[in-house]
Amino acid sequence: MAILSPEEIRKFDVDATAIRVFLKALEIIGGPRKLIELRNLTWITSLMEASYAIVLADMEHKTEDEIAEFLGLTRQTVRNILRAEPELVLKKLEGELREKTTKAHTAGGLAKLAYKEIKEGRDNLEIFIHALESASQALGIVWPVEVLRRIKGLNFPASIENLRERLAGLVIEGKEAEKILVELSNPVNSPSELLKEMRKAIKGE
Amino acid sequence: MNPVNEAIQVLKDVGKKAPILEGVSTGIEGLDDLFFTSKIENGKVIKQSLGGIPRYAVINLTGVSDTGKSLLVEQFAIKRAVEGEKVAFVTVETPAAFLSMGLKERAAAMGIDFSVIDENIIIIDAASYHSLREEMPTLLDTLAYAIKTYKIKYTIVDSITGLYEHKEMMARIFVRQLFNFMKKWYQTALFVSQKRSSHEELSAEAAGGYAVSHIVDCTMVLSKKTIQSSYDERMYKRPIGEMVRLFRIDGCRMCGHDTETHFMEITERGLIKIGPTLKELLRSVK
Repeated sequence: MAILSPEEIRKFDVDATAIRVFLKALEIIGGPRKLIELRNLTWITSLMEASYAIVLADMEHKTEDEIAEFLGLTRQTVRNILRAEPELVLKKLEGELREKTTKAHTAGGLAKLAYKEIKEGRDNLEIFIHALESASQALGIVWPVEVLRRIKGLNFPASIENLRERLAGLVIEGKEAEKILVELSNPVNSPSELLKEMRKAIKGE
Repeated sequence: MNPVNEAIQVLKDVGKKAPILEGVSTGIEGLDDLFFTSKIENGKVIKQSLGGIPRYAVINLTGVSDTGKSLLVEQFAIKRAVEGEKVAFVTVETPAAFLSMGLKERAAAMGIDFSVIDENIIIIDAASYHSLREEMPTLLDTLAYAIKTYKIKYTIVDSITGLYEHKEMMARIFVRQLFNFMKKWYQTALFVSQKRSSHEELSAEAAGGYAVSHIVDCTMVLSKKTIQSSYDERMYKRPIGEMVRLFRIDGCRMCGHDTETHFMEITERGLIKIGPTLKELLRSVK
């Protein structure tokens, strides 16, 4: 009888997911530089706490008490994070970021927004490119990094038309990027979907 | 807000992707003929046995303690394995080594050489590994890995209740996620759930969490009753003090099914048999 060994258990990495959410949340508010300019890096702590709280609640179905115990926060703070409304937070974000006392619901709203983006495959693009760069060099596949560099700042879902402008002149494995894009369904939801679909089109899958 | 256009589909198009309704034999005497399909012959609707539980169904098997839930799913696992098919057995209550012992016993009682089937049952030991029991993404990713690696078609979880102990108010979230997973991977699945109340003993009431039975495709309920009066003696044809076991299918949205309450027997060798209905028994008494 086959009993799945400990090595075969696919352990969910809460830390890695929380960091991805945190980095995306940071991107949404304008990056760390924005907080430095506002002399308000204290937001970093709140964003990290909120990122963990959202991941633990949504992925692992942890209760408010369990999250509060894990993060060393009060149950009320966790509740404020989990019940935050992302849309409202975005409307008054600029003012909130200038305040010296961070607000749990603002951080919660940002983390929720970031979490949704991560689930839909839209990681912090700067970090994504950075991480991919060394991996792609090791594997000898450089075109994904070049594609990502060119689409920096583009909002996703992105239309094929917009992508075509950004990738104009790029040749991948003997094929023009613009011709590859024609084979993709419009619009493309995320950078990772773009790479996946382009790879399929190049391989003729 | 943008409408999700992909979610709107015409029945004609969806029908092309629909799986064929067919039965999966369970290895449990008396159970396979309790599920039906309909056929039209010469303009008349004819009821036809499905010959097993509907393939791709997610079935909730519930009952209070000591009603034979685990025995039933073990028997099912062995039956599928002997047919040469792969079964994932997620054990949440009993550690793998002890489950293996039980399966060997069950196979012997069924007259099956264990060495013929042991490669076909893949045990995922959530009883011993905390992260499988406590972290749903870890369990689902591991199960997905096992399904892909071993080409698994059947998944048993014994029990789902063990996955949300101390937070039963969230039972529906857990069960919904598991249910969606089974559908995505085209699994025929049996979820054992611990029924928390014997108040409505032959319904899915309190079946492993609030309103869980609404999510799954089908619920089968097991119960037991002690003979306590001469009325019971006459009714069940058993002496005072003895225990009788009952079985009922409490709804199946995938196909027609028997709705009667049946006697259920656990033989001395630990095999489950579904017996006659209470109605049939009463008729024979009269």
